[in-house]
Amino acid sequence: MSASFRRSAAAIALAAVLLALVPLVTGSFVVHVLTIALYYVILAASWNLLAGYTGQFSLAHHAFAAIGAYTSGLMGYHLGVSPWIGIPCGVVLSAICGLILGRLVLKMRAIYLAIATWAFAETFHIYLTADYKFTRGELGLSVKSLYGTTNPVPYYYTFIVLAVLVLLGLRLLIDSPIGYFMRAIKDDELRAKSLGIDTTRVKIAVFAISSAIAGLAGGFYGHYVVLLSPQMIDFSEMAKIVVMVVIGGFGTFLGPIVGAAPVQVVMTYLQSYGEWNLAVFALIVIVLMRFSMEGLASLFTPLWKRVWHLK
Amino acid sequence: MYSTELVVQTFISGILIGVLYALMALGITFIYSIMRMINWAMGEFYMIGSYLQYMLVAWLLGPDLWWLAILVSTAGVFVLGLFTEWSLLKPIFSKPPEIRSDYATVITLALLLMLRSLATGIAGPNQFTPGSNLPIVMVGPMPLAGARVAAFVFALVALGVFWAVLRYTWYGLALRATSQSRVGVQTAGIDVLRVDRVAFGIGVALAGLAGALLAPVFLVFPTNGLVTTVKGFEIVVIGGLGSIPGALIAGVALGLVESFGAAFVDSAYQNIYGFALVLLILVLRPNGLFGERGREA
Repeated sequence: MSASFRRSAAAIALAAVLLALVPLVTGSFVVHVLTIALYYVILAASWNLLAGYTGQFSLAHHAFAAIGAYTSGLMGYHLGVSPWIGIPCGVVLSAICGLILGRLVLKMRAIYLAIATWAFAETFHIYLTADYKFTRGELGLSVKSLYGTTNPVPYYYTFIVLAVLVLLGLRLLIDSPIGYFMRAIKDDELRAKSLGIDTTRVKIAVFAISSAIAGLAGGFYGHYVVLLSPQMIDFSEMAKIVVMVVIGGFGTFLGPIVGAAPVQVVMTYLQSYGEWNLAVFALIVIVLMRFSMEGLASLFTPLWKRVWHLK
Repeated sequence: MYSTELVVQTFISGILIGVLYALMALGITFIYSIMRMINWAMGEFYMIGSYLQYMLVAWLLGPDLWWLAILVSTAGVFVLGLFTEWSLLKPIFSKPPEIRSDYATVITLALLLMLRSLATGIAGPNQFTPGSNLPIVMVGPMPLAGARVAAFVFALVALGVFWAVLRYTWYGLALRATSQSRVGVQTAGIDVLRVDRVAFGIGVALAGLAGALLAPVFLVFPTNGLVTTVKGFEIVVIGGLGSIPGALIAGVALGLVESFGAAFVDSAYQNIYGFALVLLILVLRPNGLFGERGREA
């Protein structure tokens, strides 16, 4: 176990304990908001693995979350399968789709990759809407809840556990040799290849892993919100994930964590502006980007390092 | 069912719509080749173009002056593009090069969210349609909606003007030179930042023009740019980024694939055939049909 793993593990454990205490002092609305925020933390962190660390700027991440959610939801709806079987199936299907898409976009340069993955996501979006007899389209697919209750507290603890496991897993992966290969590929793929790294295998593996994580988050999310709609793969979802990661700090471990939660909380409270909420949100993002570029994580890092080195 | 008449009609409608998709793709590829960035908010400029067209036709000029309304809406989107570039995208060049494309991506994504939400906030989620009293055009025995034919003709003229400007004017020369080398063009004394602004304006104006032309056909609502933008990006991937003939050929090809797929397979999946074509081309040629090979942006 490396020093960075122990440090991250300690910080994540501390954050998880603090979060676990929240339901004791607040009402269920705050718990609900935090549950959704944790869902986005998982999505943002897994997208960051793909885009921030490996340089594959995919715009289909929200589609994999939807694949996870819809697989489990449709299995439950049409066949009456339990979520505990449906969710793993969703994860596997997301991973397989990730593997295939990752293989297809393998040789593409950054911009083509973004466009092709975006087209994939939009096509899936259109399919979900068009084949409404099977997917229920815009009518919405009603899904069984995971614990048979609408009280958010048990789901909240589930998402804390999920987020902790995913983040620790990502930390391990990033510190492993594969993690160094990923960064080497992002910096200079040709050079990485000439040093003997099997770039093809690393890139496809990372695509499949991050898609599987998105599918996992999506599956649990589906059984929490209980009603799935194609809104889940609306492009604004993907835009949200990108904005979260970039505001937090692109290609840093801390970035998606410190970016996702505040963005989701701010967006929730902007809901009171009705249709204007996205406009206000986008305005905040534009102003932030226009006047400071480094992301929120950079505010933490120096302080963080200083505190650590004192010990 | 598979009569020649149907085949010819499908063929014609494929070409008619393909040229309009090509307009959109041309805007994307043009901005990319000059500024080396993707404008993700392209569909929102399309949307603004269609709203302007609707407002001009419905409130100010009336359906008889539709062609004037199209010119005005396109010019309006052009000016908006100049302003966007000046206020939001120019500062990109004060950032270190490795984060420029991240910056441009986030800014244009935020712009997409903002413009869409503004449209919903101001005009509501309603669908509008500008009236069109163009007569039905007969091509042989086949009737075609006047608005579609007018859009096609207009788009062809616009493409011709675009080509002529690029080919024969000093400014076109500057634009082409900038797409080849941003540094080289500065040593020749050309103000690259101004070229950028004009290029961005022209690029989004092409989207706005497509929006204005298609307003009577595809209706006017806050997310109406989405489908056409997806098509635009698909065309760019098929034809290759930075290639103008590629955008045209791929646009018409996509229009044909779609209209034949819709007529002979299943029209509910019309929007998916394009993606199948994209996958096929990408598996065979990862840089598109006419894409520049291996040159890093």
